[in-house]
Amino acid sequence: NEERSRRKRRSRWGGEESKVNIPGLPTAITSNMSKEQLDTYLLHMRLEEIGRKLRTGDYVPPEKERSSSPEPYYDSQGKRVNTREYRYRKKLEDERHRLIEEAVKRNPEYKPPADYKRPTKVQD
Amino acid sequence: PSGNGEMLPTTVLQLLNMVTQEELVDDEEYEDIVEDVREECSKFGHVVDMKIPRPGKGPDTGIGKIFVRFDTIEQAGAALRALAGRKFAERTVLTSYVPEETYFAEDF
Repeated sequence: NEERSRRKRRSRWGGEESKVNIPGLPTAITSNMSKEQLDTYLLHMRLEEIGRKLRTGDYVPPEKERSSSPEPYYDSQGKRVNTREYRYRKKLEDERHRLIEEAVKRNPEYKPPADYKRPTKVQD
Repeated sequence: PSGNGEMLPTTVLQLLNMVTQEELVDDEEYEDIVEDVREECSKFGHVVDMKIPRPGKGPDTGIGKIFVRFDTIEQAGAALRALAGRKFAERTVLTSYVPEETYFAEDF
């Protein structure tokens, strides 16, 4: 299948230079943790990552990683609603919402990030 | 082993925070992910086999995690150190080991 092989070879891996190192949040986990502890750690790591992306506006992936754009649609003022920025931001916000619900389920004392606004209605 | 200290290295590398449930549903995307992971991991040693649990295929546990079994503990360790903190589809990769018996029992 030619179309597939042409589309294929762009690895999802970022280069060595893309490595992140956040003090206090190790990425190679070699300490003894239960599965639950590891899953909780993972949850908070991802929340931290999403929070950083949303704060810095770093949520539109580089060209090669983008999926094809959906049909545009416009609001009553004729302004395009589903821009690339909007779609990627929305995707992250929706993921963050799911993760925060999970974090609260695991620990009712969990305090969501200050810039988090609970959506009044979540749509998929 | 006690609840503290370091875990014992094994031949099975666990890769975390790399894939979402939605990506695993799509067959083509799943195949791409398998290939990307195999290709990159092969730089650190011989990949014996791997497991990437998918939603709706078998027990719904370990979804979003990727398990790669190497020939030796040294190879798994090299991959664990090298891949930690790298990006995969704009997500930060976390790495860890899982015991071989967990891997074989698919008790993710």
